[in-house]
Amino acid sequence: MSESFPVEELPAALAPLPPAAALRPGPVRRIGSFLLRNPGGVIGATIVLCLVLSAVLAPIIAPYDPLHMGAGRRLTPPSPAHPFGTDEFGRDLLSRVIYGSRLTLQIGLIAVSISLGTGLLVGLVGGYSGGWVERILMRGTDVLFSFTDTLIALAAVAVLGPSLTNAMIAVGIAAIPYYARVTYGVVLVEKSKPYFDAAVAAGAGHLRIIFVHLLPNVIPPLIVVASLGVSAAVLAAAGLSFLGLGAQPPSPEWGAMLASGRDYFTRASWIMTFPGLAIALSVLGFNLLGDALREALDPRQRRR
Amino acid sequence: MTGATRSSARPVLAVERLRTEFSTKAGLAVAVDDVSFELREAETLAIVGESGSGKSVTALSILGLLPPVTARVAGGTVRFGGRDLLSLDRSQLQDVRGAQIAMIFQDPMTSLNPVLTIGRQLTEAVVRHEHLDPRAATARAVEMLARVQIPEPAWQIGRYPHQLSGGMRQRVMIAMALSCRPKVLIADEPTTALDVTVQAQILDLMSTLQEEFGTAIILITHDMGVVAEMSDRVIVMYAGRKVEEGDTVTLFDNPCHPYTRGLLKARPRITATFGPGRSRLQEIPGVVPPLTRLPPGCRFAPRCALRVEHCREQPSLDEKAPGQRAECWESHRMQAESTA
Amino acid sequence: MARYLLKRLLSAVVTIWVTTIAVVLLIHLVPGDPVKIMFAQSQSTTPEQLETVRHNLGLDRPIYEQYAIYMSRVLHGDFGHTIRGDQPILPLLLGRLPYTLALALSSLLVATVIGLGLGFLAAYKRGTALDSLCMVLAIGGVSVPVFWLGQILILVFAVRLSWFQVAGSDWRSLILPALTLGVTNAAVVARLTRSTMIDIFNQDYIRTAWAKGLPARTVLSRHALRAGLVPIVTILGLQFTYTMGGAVIVENVFSWNGIGRLAVQAIFQRDYPLIQGFILTFACLVALVSLAMDVLYAVLDPRIVHV
Repeated sequence: MSESFPVEELPAALAPLPPAAALRPGPVRRIGSFLLRNPGGVIGATIVLCLVLSAVLAPIIAPYDPLHMGAGRRLTPPSPAHPFGTDEFGRDLLSRVIYGSRLTLQIGLIAVSISLGTGLLVGLVGGYSGGWVERILMRGTDVLFSFTDTLIALAAVAVLGPSLTNAMIAVGIAAIPYYARVTYGVVLVEKSKPYFDAAVAAGAGHLRIIFVHLLPNVIPPLIVVASLGVSAAVLAAAGLSFLGLGAQPPSPEWGAMLASGRDYFTRASWIMTFPGLAIALSVLGFNLLGDALREALDPRQRRR
Repeated sequence: MTGATRSSARPVLAVERLRTEFSTKAGLAVAVDDVSFELREAETLAIVGESGSGKSVTALSILGLLPPVTARVAGGTVRFGGRDLLSLDRSQLQDVRGAQIAMIFQDPMTSLNPVLTIGRQLTEAVVRHEHLDPRAATARAVEMLARVQIPEPAWQIGRYPHQLSGGMRQRVMIAMALSCRPKVLIADEPTTALDVTVQAQILDLMSTLQEEFGTAIILITHDMGVVAEMSDRVIVMYAGRKVEEGDTVTLFDNPCHPYTRGLLKARPRITATFGPGRSRLQEIPGVVPPLTRLPPGCRFAPRCALRVEHCREQPSLDEKAPGQRAECWESHRMQAESTA
Repeated sequence: MARYLLKRLLSAVVTIWVTTIAVVLLIHLVPGDPVKIMFAQSQSTTPEQLETVRHNLGLDRPIYEQYAIYMSRVLHGDFGHTIRGDQPILPLLLGRLPYTLALALSSLLVATVIGLGLGFLAAYKRGTALDSLCMVLAIGGVSVPVFWLGQILILVFAVRLSWFQVAGSDWRSLILPALTLGVTNAAVVARLTRSTMIDIFNQDYIRTAWAKGLPARTVLSRHALRAGLVPIVTILGLQFTYTMGGAVIVENVFSWNGIGRLAVQAIFQRDYPLIQGFILTFACLVALVSLAMDVLYAVLDPRIVHV
């Protein structure tokens, strides 16, 4: 071998390769750097952040008590004193919208927790068990899925009665099939891979296989479904509230505010505009975030 | 299979200083860098190299089939029929594709449309280019299927790709490509996705049809065995550059570029592994550099046993032997070593 | 092919059967006494009247008997009577169903035309400004609440501009609700179509088609669109069920007299027999459409038919 190249310039091609794991940054770094390069993701994350801040800091930033009737005169258009105007009871709309963000976050988190928790369990157990357990669980999921979310949500509210809590539960139950199917799909894929048989043959226990092998592969697609699911849950719950089947007055939930604003919307359109914008923006934020996460975490879509 | 008698044939396709760039997240990747070659009438020219050497991209660049937003041809000309293909507009290019220059691809399963019948896919090109009526087009399709030795061609016309075997599908691809009697056929790894026994049949078929139709073939492959069997002349590509070219027989006998020598040595040979004095499979150490971070000068230098200081400067393409050219400052040393 | 269809038919039947079970069980899931809740809002019912109702609904029998009674009634076309007004349920539902179907189909038409067009365009011009524009529109459309959009459209077009009417029963009153539902639906269709078509445009057989020198219109229609039909039909099939769900809300916004509006009233009034009838009807409808979709796949995808 010729020694004419100075040793310190040994080109990268011949230097020992670093271990594969060090070449690819971990999922958190990947998500972080991708979000920065993806404007949609940044906007989405910002919106969600604002939503969270608004919810957490509501008592501090809201100028009035959202339930205080007569904080201003009835049905006044937006003005410096009341930037979003007042509603038919004289309540300050800005404060109500700000406090509504708390309910929105609650709805999203609770509904998705129900769907995710149950769906994950069903998908894991069904996919992993095989046999008649699998068939019953997945057939059940398919049947539930064919009912459509709306029907399930309506049925749940019909049984439990109209209230915000029941609406959250209804929406949560209605979305279970999505999470169950995604989980099930991942479990099936992982089961078909050779390493799975190897792990079983090596005597790995059920819990170990589930937690060490299956769960890490299930989590990324579920994150995507969850973030898009939050926006779906918010829309669905707002819809139920709008119909009068969810949050009840005087709750400052945005959908309910839209419902009560209906009677006045020709004279005082701001009552419907601002809550509606709030819903649209929040949903947009979660959708953008979900899309960006999907691109970041989907191995197929990532262009090398 | 000697090309010596063909050296006087006129060039049918002339690629000059072709340069194709890809914009990737890691930067600009020059997939084809200053590549030039000629294809003569009725000859078979092989383009050989590892994955990522730019051989497929070269072919796609010739026909303008590169992915639209990420890739572009940044320079060079492709002379065919008195025109520069790279300067043609959409519809002019469409007239050339299929009718004058045809291309077949590596995986016949994915290269055929699963929802259309074989017959439909066979007649499309002739209808478009020769304006045949449906009956004449179908007759031509049946005739082509017979030529590629598919049994019961009249019945196969109505079948779908998924109903055929891999070898049959590739025959259909060949029939499709040759149905308009093009002057040039570009075959991108036509046998890579097929079983070994079927490979031989397909290559045989291609040779036969070439003689019948007088088509010139550009055969892209990474398999030196296929090169030896099919081609009259060879171009060796590495990391986007043409590093050696020449007549197949002489190149195999006496390679002038270390990479070519490495490729030839890397073929598993029965005598080497089973005879007395068994030796290991010879590999070329190292990996192909990423196209976004190429070393200065000769790209192969980092992996080359013969590298010297001079290799930091891009070698020029010099004629090392009659009809054989390579980009290497140290060819003479290599040849001296091998004869020693 | 026959086996495939038989399996799908069985699937649909099972779904409907499970629905009937769920529907009968539903009343028992209500916390408290369902009969009392049904009449909670009318002051003047006596315990004897409550008992009569309980008996008529079969709630004083064991569950499997209830189910048998309900099933035999349903199979004879008797869905019971509403609590309020004592109207026969099935004729009531069937009377309102055409309105909902009209809304669903017309909005599906709007969604298909706009959504497929936008999605196809965005996929073909992927990576360009046009693509980004389409996708911005689409994500906006997906995020906007249907009821809010409807309300705004009413404000702008019906009240301020008086171009359209609302709260009627003729086709003119259908325009705004169909547009509202159609536009939000179109956004979903556009996004799904775009990703489907991008996948297809990346397929090798499209490259082969280009390599044959075929003109763009042929490649797009005969190759890309045809290959994309199966996933697109899937998307549209899902959209039908989505539309039916959205119809419930839109009917309430625009006071359109379909079964969705009926359902919400029923829930308010705790009219459980009516709710049961609604759920059963809705589920049957969705199952039938799914079955129709499955038949359509078999026709469109030769890999299913010609094995």
